[in-house]
Amino acid sequence: MPAYSEMLDGFTRQRGVQGGLVVSERDGIVVDSQVQLGVRASVVAALAASIYRKARLSAEAAGLGGVAYVELAATEGRLCMVGRGDLVVVLITDNRSSVGLLRGALLQVAETLA
Amino acid sequence: MPDEIRRWSEELARDPASMVFVPLGDALRRRGQLDPALKVATRGLERHPYDADAHDLLARIHADRGDMERAMDEWGAALRVAPHHAGALKGMGFACFQNGRAAEAERYLVAAVGADPGDPTIDAALSRLRAPQSGTNGASTDVGATSHTPTDAPTDAPIDAPTASASAFAGGTADARDVFSDLLGDGEQTALLLDAHGYVLAGAYVVADGRDVAQDVGGALSGVSDEAHRAMRHLGLGEWSSIVFETEVASVAMAPVAQDEEIAIALVAAARTVPLGLVRRLLRRVTERGASWLAGGAGQAGAGR
Repeated sequence: MPAYSEMLDGFTRQRGVQGGLVVSERDGIVVDSQVQLGVRASVVAALAASIYRKARLSAEAAGLGGVAYVELAATEGRLCMVGRGDLVVVLITDNRSSVGLLRGALLQVAETLA
Repeated sequence: MPDEIRRWSEELARDPASMVFVPLGDALRRRGQLDPALKVATRGLERHPYDADAHDLLARIHADRGDMERAMDEWGAALRVAPHHAGALKGMGFACFQNGRAAEAERYLVAAVGADPGDPTIDAALSRLRAPQSGTNGASTDVGATSHTPTDAPTDAPIDAPTASASAFAGGTADARDVFSDLLGDGEQTALLLDAHGYVLAGAYVVADGRDVAQDVGGALSGVSDEAHRAMRHLGLGEWSSIVFETEVASVAMAPVAQDEEIAIALVAAARTVPLGLVRRLLRRVTERGASWLAGGAGQAGAGR
C-alpha cells in the first residue's frame, strides 16, 4: 500500500470529500491519489500545486512566513490544501463537507508529512 | 485566441521553418501553457538561432517560469543579434529592477524608450524607477515585517506590460495606492487590486522597513486566477469565488473582480489576530471598491468611493 493511501482513505470517507491527492509542489506530479472516476488527477495535481506554490511565494515576498493552509473556494465546492517540504495534500470537496473539521485534520496531517 | 493557436500550429506543422512559432509560442505563454510554449520556442530557435524575436520569446517564457537567469541570458542573446530590440531592452530593464540593480535597469529602459518611443509602459516604468521611495501611505501595514532584499523578489512576474496597468513595475499613481485606505483603518491589514497578470492596479503593501512589496506579491500570484478557474472548471465545482491562505503571521484572502474581459484580483492581508470572518468581510468590501474603481475609470482616484 503506498505511503499515503491510508491517510487519503481516511479523508475520502468524510462527507462531501470527493477525492484527495498528495502532490509534489515543485513539479505538480501526483505522489498518491484517491479521486472519483472522471477526475484527471494529474490535471488537478498540477493546478493545485501551482496555486499552492504561488501562495507560498507571495507569502515569502510579503515576509509572512510559511504557508500553513490554502483554500480555494468555488460556488459548488473547494480545494483544501496543506503542505510541508515539497509535498502538498489536496482535498476536493463539495459544499456538504465540514470545512472547519477538514482544515483541522489537514493541519494535523501536515505535521506528519515527510 | 484558441483559433489563432490552432491556425498557427497547423501552419507550423505544414512548414516547420515558419516564423509563426514566435506568435504561437507567445500565445501559449500568455495562456499559461509554459511547457508547450517552451517546446515551440526551443524548436524554433534551433532553426532560427539568430532571430532576436525568438530569443526574446524564450526569455519571456523563462521569466514566466521564474528562471530569471536564463531569461537574462536569452535577452542578452537577443541584444547581441539586435542591440536595439525594444522587447529585450525592456526585459533586461525589468530583470535588473527585480534584482535591485536600479542603475542598470534605468540604462536599459532609457535605451528601450529610444527603441520604442510609443510604448507608454516603458515611460511609466522609468517614472516609477526614478521616483523617490515613498514611505507609508495610509494603506500600509506592518503585517509581515521582513528584512529580505530586493533579490528575494519572486521572479515569475510576466514581462508584458498589460494595457490595464499604469506601470510595468508597480501600480499607478499615489491616488491609486490610496483607493482602499478608508476601508483599512488603522488595523494591521492591507489591500491590493491586481490585474490578471499580477501587476498592481491599486493599493499598496508596505512592510515594516518602509518598502512597498506590492509588486513582488503580485508577481508571485501572476496567473493564479486562471489556474483557479481551470481547476474548478475541470472538477465541475463552478466559478472560483475566493482563495484564502493562512501563514505563520497573517491571513491572506483573494477574490476575483471582473475587469472588462479579464479577471482582476482583490487581495486582503491581515494579522492572524484578526478573525477570519472579518478578513472575509473586508475582502468583500475591497472587492466591491475595486470593481467600482475599475468601472469608474482606473487611475481616477476615488472614483469608486
